[in-house]
Amino acid sequence: MASQIFAYAIIGLGSGALISGVGLGVVLSYRGSGVINLSTGAIAMLAGYCYWALATGEFGVTFATGWAIVLTLLFSAVVGIVFELGVVRPLRRQPPLAKLVATLGILLSAQAAIVLAFGDTAHPQPSILPGGNVTLFGVTVPDYNLWMAAIILAAALVVVAVYRWTRFGIGTRAAAENEAYATLFGLSPNRYSMGNTVAMALVMGLVGMLAASIAEVDPTTLVLLIVPGLAAAMFGRLTAFTTTYVAGIVIGMAESVLLYLSTQSWFPTSNGGPLPGVDELLVLLVLVVATFFRAGKIPSRGDIVESRLPRAPRPVAPLRTAAVFVPIAALAMWVLPFGFREGLITSCIFAVSLLSLVVVTGYLGQLSLVQLGLAGVAGFLVSHLSTNFGIGFPWAAIVGVVAAAVLGVGFGFPALRVRGVQLAVVTLAATVALETFWFSNGSWGAGVLGASVPAPSLFGFDFGTNASFHGLGGGEPSPLFGWFCLIVLVVVALLVANLRRSRLGQQMLAVRANERAAAATGVNVRNVKLTGFGIAAGIAGVSGVLLSYSYGSITASSFSALIAVALVAFVYITGITSVPGGVFGGIIYSGGIFAFALLDWFGLQGNWLNLIVGFLVVLSLISRPEGGATFLFYGKHPSLWARAPKKAQSTLPPSGTAHGGTAHGATAHGAHEGNQHGLAPVEAEVTS
Amino acid sequence: MTAALEAAGISVSFGAVRALQGVDLVVGAGKLVGLIGPNGAGKTTFVDAITGFVQSSGSVHLQGQDISKLPPHRRAHLGLVRTWQTIELFDDLTVQENLAVAGGRPSLVSTVADVVFGREPRAEQTAEEVLGLFDLQEVAPEMPSNLSQGRRKLVGIARALAAGPSLLLLDEPAAGLDTQESGDLGRKLRRLVDNGLPTLLIDHDMGLVLGICDEIYVLDFGKVIAHGTPDEVRSNPDVLAAYLGKSGQAQAGATWPAVAEGTRER
Repeated sequence: MASQIFAYAIIGLGSGALISGVGLGVVLSYRGSGVINLSTGAIAMLAGYCYWALATGEFGVTFATGWAIVLTLLFSAVVGIVFELGVVRPLRRQPPLAKLVATLGILLSAQAAIVLAFGDTAHPQPSILPGGNVTLFGVTVPDYNLWMAAIILAAALVVVAVYRWTRFGIGTRAAAENEAYATLFGLSPNRYSMGNTVAMALVMGLVGMLAASIAEVDPTTLVLLIVPGLAAAMFGRLTAFTTTYVAGIVIGMAESVLLYLSTQSWFPTSNGGPLPGVDELLVLLVLVVATFFRAGKIPSRGDIVESRLPRAPRPVAPLRTAAVFVPIAALAMWVLPFGFREGLITSCIFAVSLLSLVVVTGYLGQLSLVQLGLAGVAGFLVSHLSTNFGIGFPWAAIVGVVAAAVLGVGFGFPALRVRGVQLAVVTLAATVALETFWFSNGSWGAGVLGASVPAPSLFGFDFGTNASFHGLGGGEPSPLFGWFCLIVLVVVALLVANLRRSRLGQQMLAVRANERAAAATGVNVRNVKLTGFGIAAGIAGVSGVLLSYSYGSITASSFSALIAVALVAFVYITGITSVPGGVFGGIIYSGGIFAFALLDWFGLQGNWLNLIVGFLVVLSLISRPEGGATFLFYGKHPSLWARAPKKAQSTLPPSGTAHGGTAHGATAHGAHEGNQHGLAPVEAEVTS
Repeated sequence: MTAALEAAGISVSFGAVRALQGVDLVVGAGKLVGLIGPNGAGKTTFVDAITGFVQSSGSVHLQGQDISKLPPHRRAHLGLVRTWQTIELFDDLTVQENLAVAGGRPSLVSTVADVVFGREPRAEQTAEEVLGLFDLQEVAPEMPSNLSQGRRKLVGIARALAAGPSLLLLDEPAAGLDTQESGDLGRKLRRLVDNGLPTLLIDHDMGLVLGICDEIYVLDFGKVIAHGTPDEVRSNPDVLAAYLGKSGQAQAGATWPAVAEGTRER
């Protein structure tokens, strides 16, 4: 057995090298520009497809391996340059959270583009490594595993050497420390950022090609390698290349050994097969440990950051707004043909799901990617309580929602210590772990076939998707279920709007703006955060319940990490800080009514929408961070949106005794000058 | 009569640096006490320590109650309220909402009722009064970023007052104000104190501190080097040495406002 474990550990070197490579990419991105780049895996996937296409003659010309490698690296470098110019540079002065969301958008677009171009089936690709075997201590294993580990190690060592001994490395370090000073000393942060991004892309190109030895190219495997890759990078505190490399290798070996152990008779099984998702659980555990014990020492960067999360406008008259839109939607549920009706129902459900993001991210300022996972928890509980214990609506739904809320509070606890971007990383891993460990599990989750969910009914009155009452055009789903979803959405939307107006909502925004000042004014930051997570998780649970009823059966793939990423992207372009933002995000969400219209009228698949939305996220973060729907609804209230007169506070003269007019600039400080003379009319002061 | 604030033996270390070394400070009931000292003397650290934002040893009593072990928000509930040198308003909330966050401590029931029935929380009367006190009524619906630095400072103080303090800690409220505004602020503070709100005032504006405080503590290198009435402190040779350096004693004839100019932070 010991020799077997050893053999599996060596085999794990291969996947460990890929994990290390993605981790190195994350570190390069972070050091170069302060971006926590969740799209490194996606860039590796692009390179993998490029190599596959060149080497197999997908585009009509078949290249020899050597040329295919060179061209793929060239392609990776170009991707890096485009990524730098299109994403990193325009967002340089945005807060870390915005940068992270932008990389989520790129992930979404890259994945959608690949599916559109090559479909979502896997393709075998020729390996770039020799296919021999090597015998180590009496165990024979394929030697490409050693090659992969060695090549990525070489890449890591080159990067370390460059950072230590060249002007480029010193410049990068200086720019990360304090961008303004680095610029003063004639260093160009832009150039260092570009260099690091291209280096990242080249490493990802290597990863994409090396992966050929152990996996076929497909649109998800490499993309999701970002999760263990992040775990490795977190162990390296997002800065240490060698630690990251070692951590990645160790994770890969541990996963491989775990795979072997799971074939043993004593290993817990599920439905006769080995327990799925144990390796993802291991990665989550590693990530949690890394975040809690190492992340505190991640050096923050001395960037010039200008803006924060967009403002959360105060709803003026939520009931009136609802009174306008609800009758239209209710009528549409009955009138529209079945495909559109189904789309509208899906839109309502995802709107609820997005409102949970509005609470946790928009109000509370914490980016949680586990909301969809929590929805899944509620959905699967509904399914199991109904099929195994005969508990139906409404009790199963209530239990599901409460369970999601409790679990959500559980996820709130890490948020007390880690916040913002690091929380996004941990919750992403949690979503992956929930999907593979719980939802895919044959006995607790859906297995491969899906778990059935009986239709909801109350006092013998069936209002499920196949209720007997049909819409104008006939057919399912029944408008009854649509109205049910609509009512739930309206109630949740009004509650979320009211929350913003309530004291609790104000406290959440106070915590979002400034935790220290909030505590100093008597806000119990911990309780407010936990409450916010609980509320958001409860709302996510509601959407999960509706989702399970809408399909009549529930599968793990409805709650995948990639869908969670897509949801964040959609709600960011409509507005993460307001109720209209959440609702409109649901309307345009792929699978919703807008996506169906695109398909029906123009024959455009949902992946086109994802492709466009992914890019729109980046654009929107630059030009309209509050989001389209938020702007549409609240843009006319100047008191909410009026910009500060160009940062009056940061450019103030150092001494309060310098009188207005001497040290002050002519334009930007008009407001300040107005105040120097105590009795200046207030109106003029504010509008100037 | 119990003192409003009694801090005894407050010590703070950052690694090997001992930022505060056994500071004793008392703010008597109804007193306006000044805390001054050169840059880096530990003034803000002292405020951070007694409000619970940095780890410290020693004891803090508020109206005779031991609050040394309480987290910051609990201290604020008991009336120990501070402002910040860097203002630290909630930039995502209007001026009015900034004050509301400080003033309201909603019960669970009222929060649930607000969210379910969509009730607007009513403006607290204290918040209204405080806005009036600083002539801020007109800017109540504004976002803080639309206000001038001076006004933002005032909003910061107003927010502290809206929290219903039993002791007010002001960290450099006059920095960034001109002499007229600072004098105006001084008169308002004096009036607040005379109406029964004990206050600890930290500022670099010597004219302000010496002009309105009942007594003054002088901090240097984390220790109290002088304590007394403004007149006593003004003539204390140690204080002059601390501000001007040992060699500076030769120029001890320099007037205080001039000294203040020379040592102003930022």
